[in-house]
Amino acid sequence: MNLALDGLPELACKPGVGEWLRGAISFSPSLDYMERAYDDAKYGKFSSKPYIDCIMPTLVDPTMAPPGKHIMSCFVQYAPYKLDHDREWNDAEREAFGENVIDTLEERFPDIRSKILHKMFVTPKDIEDWTGLTEGNIFQGELSLEQLFFNRPVPGWARYRTPVKDLWMCGSATHPGGGIMGAPGRISALEYIKAHRRGRRKVA
Amino acid sequence: MSRDVIVIGGGHNGLIVAAYLAKGGRKVTLLERSGEVGGILRNSEVAPGFTAPGIAHTVGRLRESVVRDLKLAKHGYEPIVPDVRLFAPQSDGSAVTFWADVGRTANELKARDEKDAARYEDFDKKVRALASFLAHINAATPPNVKTPSLADAFAGLKLGKAFRGLGAKTGREAIRALPMAVADFVGEVFDDEAIRGALISRAVLYSATGPWGAGTASVLLTDSAGNDGGAPGQSTFARGGTGALAKALAAAAESLGVTIRTNADVAEIRSVDGRVQGVTLASGERLDSSMVVSAADPKRTLGLCDPVQLGPEMIWRAGNIRQPGATAKVNLALSGLPAFNGAEGEDRLKGRIVIATGIDHVERAHDAVKYGVIAEEPWLEATIPSLVDDSLAPEGKHVMSVLFQSAPRKLRGTDWATERDRVGDIAVKTLERYAPGLGELVEARQVITPEDMENDYGLSGGHVYHAEPGLDQFFVWRPLNGHARYSFVLEGLYLAGSGAHPGGGITGGPGSNAARQILSGKR
Repeated sequence: MNLALDGLPELACKPGVGEWLRGAISFSPSLDYMERAYDDAKYGKFSSKPYIDCIMPTLVDPTMAPPGKHIMSCFVQYAPYKLDHDREWNDAEREAFGENVIDTLEERFPDIRSKILHKMFVTPKDIEDWTGLTEGNIFQGELSLEQLFFNRPVPGWARYRTPVKDLWMCGSATHPGGGIMGAPGRISALEYIKAHRRGRRKVA
Repeated sequence: MSRDVIVIGGGHNGLIVAAYLAKGGRKVTLLERSGEVGGILRNSEVAPGFTAPGIAHTVGRLRESVVRDLKLAKHGYEPIVPDVRLFAPQSDGSAVTFWADVGRTANELKARDEKDAARYEDFDKKVRALASFLAHINAATPPNVKTPSLADAFAGLKLGKAFRGLGAKTGREAIRALPMAVADFVGEVFDDEAIRGALISRAVLYSATGPWGAGTASVLLTDSAGNDGGAPGQSTFARGGTGALAKALAAAAESLGVTIRTNADVAEIRSVDGRVQGVTLASGERLDSSMVVSAADPKRTLGLCDPVQLGPEMIWRAGNIRQPGATAKVNLALSGLPAFNGAEGEDRLKGRIVIATGIDHVERAHDAVKYGVIAEEPWLEATIPSLVDDSLAPEGKHVMSVLFQSAPRKLRGTDWATERDRVGDIAVKTLERYAPGLGELVEARQVITPEDMENDYGLSGGHVYHAEPGLDQFFVWRPLNGHARYSFVLEGLYLAGSGAHPGGGITGGPGSNAARQILSGKR
């Protein structure tokens, strides 16, 4: 969820403006809290009490908003791609989850509602539609043990090649996986160059 | 009396390690805390004339080599293997049945889901193939990771050979499957929730982890290793009840020269300069021996040692071994055979009766452990052993054994003295939904809480498997990295219970592996 704010909100637990607002702000008060947020998603619901990781990038780069205004970017968990295991989100549900997030933010930033100028709530389905990421998974495949290293993306095709000749993969779906690190792109390029430099036409 | 070895604990692994050591020429004294050997195999009298299994109710995972080496048949062990493996009644009146006969099962599944039925034989084959590889792992002593020896290299080669024997495709599938959540492992093949629920259940039996837990697929495969269970697992009974297997193990051990002492509660494992000296009983009696083999769980075992000898780091590591008991047991004396939905007579009820109607149902039942509450909608594994062995109940009557998931050892805001009856009530209420009228048949009821398991059976945390099965407590990490080769922390101290590799269940794996390792003289 992205918010455009009319000024900085104030944390109830640490009022004022300071360095502590310039990094990631995590609302993950306990293991139980986070686990319960995940439980909802296991059974096909969005979290009634989500866990939130947010940043206000305008504190370190004021050019991102008009003077005095701020941007807040929130990663929110958990929001399953399909609700009730088998159906798509509707607009009312997107709104409802957005309200859950703002309610949760309000518990920490009591004045947040009065600062909100615009809000943008993005579901996994929206991420899929906008970016082409299947099921809205930003890592192009869950980073679980059975989908890592020589099993990424699938056993037998972990070396950036695919069953289709001359079709290669280089995204987060390949080893070592997702995140803004560029490693899959770099390693796949090296692998491609190595395969072609040797003059081997066959690169299976 | 002179002796070479003291074995602590008369459960199946204690009896097995003692018997093998005696067979190897050692003079063994086995000390059992309670008045009777058998541990989780002990029979329990629900009411006069009704004999129920104390905790474990099937014994089909017992290693063939143990049965053979210890001549258990001669000592009175008689397995009963019904045709049916698993029966899963549903609340809508239908049921799913898994038979030992794969074709029969697939044929019956057609009525439920054509596609799932078509996939069943391949899935069963896959489970058997992957489990056959795990059987090799289970039979091995975990390698010495720090300073591998030549023997470790050979063991590694043997495992490598077994792995290559799977073929490239199955080998790749093994590596992928082991760390998977069983919900994915089963869910990616089958669509029908009733089939999924039935098949995932044994991967999380006795476990605090739910079917979405990483590595639960490997627990399912471990459960299949070394028996012909296939996809639905085994449902083997011992004639005379599980206690009869315990008696056969004790008779085998004694015939090999093991001295068994009951009511011998070890209060301390004595050691000097990191070397074991013997044990002291609660009565104050001291028994000397330079070798002590504990079949008790790892936390309990280390709790008997002098903390000064263990040192603060080991005490901290031992404290972190995960042993969160999550299972309760309810035994019922029934005035007749309950009428389960879809049972069509007796035959389908002779194996494991599993109330697990889908992945969500089982997962929710395990959520309860995380939050320290008793599952209001538990999943259950029940057996009616009197159906295959009429000596266990008066004529026309039956005894039913119910494993209840989940009932955490650690409850929040209440205690087990308060909640005991509620577990029995929930179990009967749940069964009623699948066997209407069952409640009226109950003549007597016995509830064994995880607290009872801790106090009466000596299981730390009330965990039947001693240590939670999980990737972090598997093979070289069971129960602690650096202490997985049965030699355990102090010189002369060995671990031979379910807390050691290959883990819990009535397999005899830890006991026989430990004996082999001890007799080899290697550390």
